[in-house]
Amino acid sequence: MKTAAPSAAHAARQGFFGALAPGGRRAFFALAVSAVCFVFAFPVLWLVLTSLRPASGVYYVHRGAEFTVENFGEVLRSGVVARAFVNSFAISTLATLLSLGVTVTSGYMLSRFKGPLADGWFGLIYLFRCVPYVSWVLPLYYVTQAWGVFDSYTGLLLPHIAVHICFFSWLMKGFFDGIDPSMEAAALVDGCTRWGAFVRIALPAATPGLAALAILSWLFTWNEFLFALILTSHNTPILTVVMAQFVHELGMEWHLMSATAVMALGPALIVTVFGQRYVLAGLRI
Amino acid sequence: MLLLVAPAALVLVFFQVVPILMGANASFRDWALHDPKKTWVGLKHYAYVLSDANFLGLVLPNTFLLMVLSVSVSLVLGMALAHLLNRGFRGLRVVQTVLLLPLMVAPVIAAIMIRWLFNDQFGIISVVLQALGGDTPAWLAERWPSFFIIVGTDVWLWSPWFTLILLAGLKSLPREPFEAAAIDGAGAWRIFRYVTLPLLQPVMVVCVVIRSIDAFRTFDIVWTISGGGPARSTEVFSIYAYTEAFQYLNFGRGSAAGVIGALIILGVGMAFYRVLNRLLRVSR
Repeated sequence: MKTAAPSAAHAARQGFFGALAPGGRRAFFALAVSAVCFVFAFPVLWLVLTSLRPASGVYYVHRGAEFTVENFGEVLRSGVVARAFVNSFAISTLATLLSLGVTVTSGYMLSRFKGPLADGWFGLIYLFRCVPYVSWVLPLYYVTQAWGVFDSYTGLLLPHIAVHICFFSWLMKGFFDGIDPSMEAAALVDGCTRWGAFVRIALPAATPGLAALAILSWLFTWNEFLFALILTSHNTPILTVVMAQFVHELGMEWHLMSATAVMALGPALIVTVFGQRYVLAGLRI
Repeated sequence: MLLLVAPAALVLVFFQVVPILMGANASFRDWALHDPKKTWVGLKHYAYVLSDANFLGLVLPNTFLLMVLSVSVSLVLGMALAHLLNRGFRGLRVVQTVLLLPLMVAPVIAAIMIRWLFNDQFGIISVVLQALGGDTPAWLAERWPSFFIIVGTDVWLWSPWFTLILLAGLKSLPREPFEAAAIDGAGAWRIFRYVTLPLLQPVMVVCVVIRSIDAFRTFDIVWTISGGGPARSTEVFSIYAYTEAFQYLNFGRGSAAGVIGALIILGVGMAFYRVLNRLLRVSR
């Protein structure tokens, strides 16, 4: 089924392209690319445009030309958004640092040691990666309450680290697999300890991979919703949850909602733009 | 050696193993906020969920339909875009940045944007349709329009991910088979069908496996776009478990649903894993 449709489309395109002059063909290509880009970028552009419209003009974004940044001011003055912004930022940064610290040794172990223990650890990680979040975050609600960490940084940080362990150990193993272990062996011969060989030789060599993972981890935590929804309440508002509440509670205030969403998009955009280079370099395993 | 995984293992035990065991335990008990006695009731909740017409007739079909549609459309789209970006043309960097834009957008934000675009009175899509003389359906008040809006949002969010990984795969393929096929006079379609596809197969399968497992547990966009509505008709597995536990406050039943879902996806995951292993062995 999958092969039939594109082949028909291809035959049609062949005839269509054949009928075009080379210049027309290039114009057609440019037009198609622009159309695709438009479809991909339009929702974000429209969101930004909505966030810049005054409350009176928000229902007719396509008409009128008044623009204002007052929506951002109003959202920030309401307090909860500003607090959620700070919380989300702190949680994302802390979760990134801590999960990298924990997974770097775990990935190194998976890469350098063989045997039933390493195999068992790898199998466990694959298994836990498959379990749907909702199946263990529901009980986690009771666990964090019983331990007194519900609605606190700790109670949200540690589950995030648990999520990252599975996927990142896997990726990290790939980074260390790509580093020649003979360097470490040489260091050992020269009198370095096993730990010293790891810290001085393997770790610096894995830095590009670590940078890529740091960016992915930060974005993932910043954008995450379900954990924050279940594990936090009024004390620790998280940006994604605050936005989702807007939709359900004040469903009509689109200008404020868009302003909040654009603010949430900002840091992710900055991280991606500056980090793109590291992600592309680091993920080339 | 044990010391190296000790921190990771500790976090995993306390924040994943313990909750999973506790959830399994809770699923055999009557456990609710208003009834904290935690009476042992055996398989009652499992029997309820597995005979619930909503779960069997709506939730499971929705979950699998979302998974299959989203993954297959994103795969085809991602493949097409990866080929586009692999061509090399003027303005490539700009196009690449635009196409990868959805990667950094939180699913919740994407869902809010889509709700606004499809607002039945003021949304720009309704406005354009009206200007063209069509009428504006109340998209989110009916089952299938809501469902396909959700699928479309998921495709928008995840096809860049396929593009990125398939593009990396395309760039790492050897040149010789393509040159040989071109010398033998194969056309673009035949080269794609008989050279590119088989060579890319391992990458594609890994993508599909990871993405399918994630699509099965989709929560954010469904929750924000439709909330599972209208009248629970677009509910997926994660929403079902969440709703049972936190809106009907029946924690035992929610946990049972969670365990059932986990078992289903573990079964699917194992099947995928086997296919993956066989494919990798053949391609070697």
